[in-house]
Amino acid sequence: MGIDEITLAHADERDLTKLAEYEEIGGYKALAKARKLKPEKIVEELLASNLRGRGGAGFPMGRKASFLAKGTGKPTYLCVNADESEPGTFKDREIMLRNPHRLIEGCLITAHGIESEHVFIYLRGEYRDVFEVMRRALEDARKAKLLGDVTIVLHRGAGAYICGEESALLESLEGRRGQPRPRPPFPAVSGLYGSPTLINNVQTVATVPVVIEKGGEWYAKIGPEPSPGTVVFSLSGNVVRPGNYELELGTPLRELIFDLGGGIPDGRELKAIIPGGSSTTVMTPDQLDTNLDFNSVAEAGSQLGAAAVIVIDDRACMVQLALRSSQFYMHESCGKCTPCREGTRWMVQLLAKLEEGRADQHELDLLLSVCDRMLGKCLCALGDFAAGPVVEYATRFREEFQRHIDEGGCPFGGESSLEGIYAPVEQHAHAASAEVTA
Amino acid sequence: MSAPELVTVSVDGREVQVAPGTGLVETALAAGVEIPVFCYEPRLGPAVGACRMCLCEIEGMPKLQAACTLTATDGMVVHTAQTSEKAAEGQEATLEFILVNHPLDCPVCDKGGECPLQDLTFRWGPGNTRMTFPKRTYEKPIPVSPTIALDRERCILCYRCTRFSESVSEDGQLIARNRGAQSIIATFEDEPYRAPFSGNVIELCPVGALTSTQYRFEGRPWEIQNVPTVCGLCPVGCNIQATTREGKVKRILSRNHPEIDEGWLCDKGRFAFTHLYARDRIADPLLRVRRRGFEELSWDDALDAAEKLLREAEGRIVTALSGSETVEQAYALGRLLREGLGAHSALLPEETSPALDAFRLPLSAIRDAELVVVLGDEPPAERAPVVDLWLKAAERRGAGIERAGDALESCRRLADKRNVLGKRLRESDRAVLIWSGEEGAGGAHVAALARELGFGGKAGCGAFHLPSTPNGRGVADAWAAASDEEGPNPEPIGLLIVSGDEAASDPGVRALAEHAERVLVTSMFQGLAVGWADLVLPGTGYLERDGTYVNLEGRLQRLRRAVIPPAPDELAWVSKLAERFGVEVPPYASAVFAELSEKIHGGLAFGEVGEQAALGTRSEAPVAELPEKPEEGGDGLALVRYRALFSGPAVERVPELQFQRPEPEVELSAEDAEARGIASGETVTVSHDGTSLELRARISRELRKGVVRIAAEHAGELGGRVEVST
Amino acid sequence: MTELAGEIQKAAAQYPDSRSAVLPALRLAQEKHGGWLPPEALREVGDALGLTPAYCQAVASFYDMFQLQPVGRHLVEVCTNLSCALVGAQQVLEAFERELGIGPGETTEDGEFTLRAIECAGGCGKAVVVSVDEHYREPVRPEDVPEIVKELRGGD
Repeated sequence: MGIDEITLAHADERDLTKLAEYEEIGGYKALAKARKLKPEKIVEELLASNLRGRGGAGFPMGRKASFLAKGTGKPTYLCVNADESEPGTFKDREIMLRNPHRLIEGCLITAHGIESEHVFIYLRGEYRDVFEVMRRALEDARKAKLLGDVTIVLHRGAGAYICGEESALLESLEGRRGQPRPRPPFPAVSGLYGSPTLINNVQTVATVPVVIEKGGEWYAKIGPEPSPGTVVFSLSGNVVRPGNYELELGTPLRELIFDLGGGIPDGRELKAIIPGGSSTTVMTPDQLDTNLDFNSVAEAGSQLGAAAVIVIDDRACMVQLALRSSQFYMHESCGKCTPCREGTRWMVQLLAKLEEGRADQHELDLLLSVCDRMLGKCLCALGDFAAGPVVEYATRFREEFQRHIDEGGCPFGGESSLEGIYAPVEQHAHAASAEVTA
Repeated sequence: MSAPELVTVSVDGREVQVAPGTGLVETALAAGVEIPVFCYEPRLGPAVGACRMCLCEIEGMPKLQAACTLTATDGMVVHTAQTSEKAAEGQEATLEFILVNHPLDCPVCDKGGECPLQDLTFRWGPGNTRMTFPKRTYEKPIPVSPTIALDRERCILCYRCTRFSESVSEDGQLIARNRGAQSIIATFEDEPYRAPFSGNVIELCPVGALTSTQYRFEGRPWEIQNVPTVCGLCPVGCNIQATTREGKVKRILSRNHPEIDEGWLCDKGRFAFTHLYARDRIADPLLRVRRRGFEELSWDDALDAAEKLLREAEGRIVTALSGSETVEQAYALGRLLREGLGAHSALLPEETSPALDAFRLPLSAIRDAELVVVLGDEPPAERAPVVDLWLKAAERRGAGIERAGDALESCRRLADKRNVLGKRLRESDRAVLIWSGEEGAGGAHVAALARELGFGGKAGCGAFHLPSTPNGRGVADAWAAASDEEGPNPEPIGLLIVSGDEAASDPGVRALAEHAERVLVTSMFQGLAVGWADLVLPGTGYLERDGTYVNLEGRLQRLRRAVIPPAPDELAWVSKLAERFGVEVPPYASAVFAELSEKIHGGLAFGEVGEQAALGTRSEAPVAELPEKPEEGGDGLALVRYRALFSGPAVERVPELQFQRPEPEVELSAEDAEARGIASGETVTVSHDGTSLELRARISRELRKGVVRIAAEHAGELGGRVEVST
Repeated sequence: MTELAGEIQKAAAQYPDSRSAVLPALRLAQEKHGGWLPPEALREVGDALGLTPAYCQAVASFYDMFQLQPVGRHLVEVCTNLSCALVGAQQVLEAFERELGIGPGETTEDGEFTLRAIECAGGCGKAVVVSVDEHYREPVRPEDVPEIVKELRGGD
């Protein structure tokens, strides 16, 4: 590795949840430095760093900040997206659990840079442990008079994947059902309470202190251009050593899974890799030499997304995997726009039938057609997240899908690692597989 | 050359120029291209982009865009589904997704034949379905209220209804529950949707999910006729369409007049029409027969009996008017009585004044105002419901809404040059005054205040007075125009003529009847006429009449007969009676109007009143005086008795509206409640001068200290100042 | 003012618009009402924030963490999303089903336990994740389940 960890630096050897420990490793020095700089200088450094958002979309933070409407007479808000819910992702949780002050420092520097006095951290509701840690850290920072004129509100979500979508997050933060808003207007112009708002992911904001401390140019040189820096990769699934690994962008997939992750357990074979969380499209073992950066993964036909690498061994039935993934999106669809609400449900119905071996050829084509009719037509990205990966499962593992039709049942014969997996959506009255009659 | 403020947009190859910011759906329409929509409805606030029916291709944007969420910018190139294959595929996809769980029960659906989903599927949809799974099912229909039924299977979740409830009527009662494919429209704990504008969601629904319980299975679109007319139940005069089938009114729909109602209609206007078919509706004249009650008369006999009553009274006649007569009825009656019998004495339902004509504005000006002051403690929603929607719209746009309370006192206070609010009113170019209460002198007081504040010269500033009758002004003017002569009030009264149901149910009129030798009543309902009248002539309702009304803006509007009344209408028998007294009054509204128009409407032709009537220009009126200093209050709380919107003879006869009747409760301000240790929902005693009533307490955020409010029907004999105790 | 209303208003003071406090308020109300939101809880939240109970229900029903039906004294939630599913979430869920005698979405007759399957809990690195009364246990193997249930039964 060419660079030390950034957001998790020293978290292994020290208890960084304690303010004193954090200060001992140089914590809050970047804040002191930043506060001596003019706000626009902060944004300049962010632009120079080319720090790209770590929430999934990868949009450069500095550019996002520079879009903020000025002179509106309204306050500017900073919202930290800590609603980490993408299946396979658990990096923000670890950053906040082990290095809460890094995030707080990042918030304060960013707030200074965009001349905001109001920061909201929208924290995933289920992360109760994180909430306690962050609350204590905030309290300590407040007592140490580090906040200045800035208020940081820790706002807990309540269980809705869609609230990780930035406009849904704003709706939810305003006390509404978390349904995405149409754009334009973009949050930079009209976000929280109709005011200019910058929204960034936890890891992105937690990276800001080092950008200010060492300079944007320094940061821009880490790893391959144009996506510099480190990323915390969340490694999970069928791998010997799952966990978070903060690595330079551009680290080869093989290195992560086999060198760091220890390879596939139980002597099984690698079958597939989901590189960025369940919304990204599946990769196959022949692509192990792909470098894990935004562009290389895109060139390999997938997306780096939230850098959540899910490793799948040869025991998994890909139809079951596609079904379970679709059940998640059906469960999490907010219900606002037609194609996502109806399409995710229809997908689940078709995949369930396929898995049971009752589908005919026509229905496999129909599944792909339904996906196609969702792609690019929904109000937010969730519809694409649901449909895009399924198209790839069915394309890259076409033969396996086909065998479900030809053999009139699952070729794994009950031996798949995902056999019978129960999905939360089935707990609802109108799940596709739990029809009620009038 | 194009005006610099316009932008040029190309839609399907047609160039069109529109103002920047114009919605893309409207821009396309201006270019002659229809972009189909379900969820889009600009009256509900910002577009939500939910249904995805309006997907279009915009050059420079990689993905299909929901046209409803975009506005026109210069140089924009739009390809709708009519020219873009990609957009057409998107639209077809949307329709397929909408239909996968929509039951195709069109043959038994009330919306069938007038359903946007049917129409758009017919024009753009797939010809077959690829859905092979059972569709989502729900228990159906569910009563959302006694007036609205919900079929959740048909619902396409466009959220129009919930957006209305949240962002237009702001009652917050109709909501979406659950998430994703499990989402349903619902009320809290399935309680009835009880709010004055609830019925609008039926019209907003683009499918047959929300239907009217009154109209359910009552007619097919090809069997009905829609008659454009005006609601006659309050002084707003919302524009409506009366749907009729085989000579009966079946439902009332709104008919958008952007200056008056914006297409919204209150539940009284929408659902109270069935009073026309009340069990005690009078179809034949009735004569009191000593000791044996009443007997039906033929019309010839009835006219003889009426003539006899009129002659025997020897001119000692008093006429009590309702304020719901048409202008033409009031004028014809005036000609008969004043010209034919010298009976000039009339009891008008309320004071009216022309003074406000100098400060005239359309009601929509309330929405456009920056500052609105409501004088008086009666809720505008109870007197003139749509005014409340305009107030809410103004507030959403950021206007200051000040509720000034005690109208007489506030009027004097605001006129004072040192008053802060008064100063803001003087300085504003978009300020509106609304008098919502009694003692307004027909608008003269608020007009005097408007003059004092310099509103006369400012086109954006104006004033309204909310009368208590739908056509009080029109009736008063017509009565006045019927004769130039005057006469004394008779004593004793030989004959009291009671014109219409409101007069017949007015306790003041009933009291006067005690002193009259004979009483002649025209009424629609036996319950209002039998027992005190010597002769009853059948009355008609506003849906059965031709003629005109003058609303609270001073706007002359046209009523069209939607259905034929069960008996000859008032004009018919007034005309016949008039003949017997040597007065020529035509039996047709058009002819009566022509005669009256020469006198007071500058010769405007009946046909020119228009289906969307224009508001006359401001006219100078005699200077009105500010009210005298009101008397000092005294002890206790000032009682405001108000006539609730959901009350009166029509509402009382509509079973499905009973749930909207006012609760037996007394409204208190939070301060007064706290001072007396009263909690919301508690039973309290309201007393005055020895009389007392038990009512439920409700704490109102709007009410000011020192005032309590009780709907008149629950206020018994209470009046003046009261005390409230636990 | 009730204690709950006081706490809600305190939460609301953090935001420029009190409506933003709906989620914290519903959470407070749920804690006060034994882990779920009966109609009166929604009324209380509405009263405290100037919103209709219907609005509060609309919001509450959108989020998975608000329960609109009674729940057991202990809420046991098993993540069955991909990362946990690949390493045996179904076996863990079934172990709880056996141990408690109920299926997912159900509550034991004695009102002690509600068992649910949940979507990705953000503990994929230590799968299988089980959340017990909002505290994560990770990783959980099927053989750990009897001990967990025993502890909860004997606890308090």
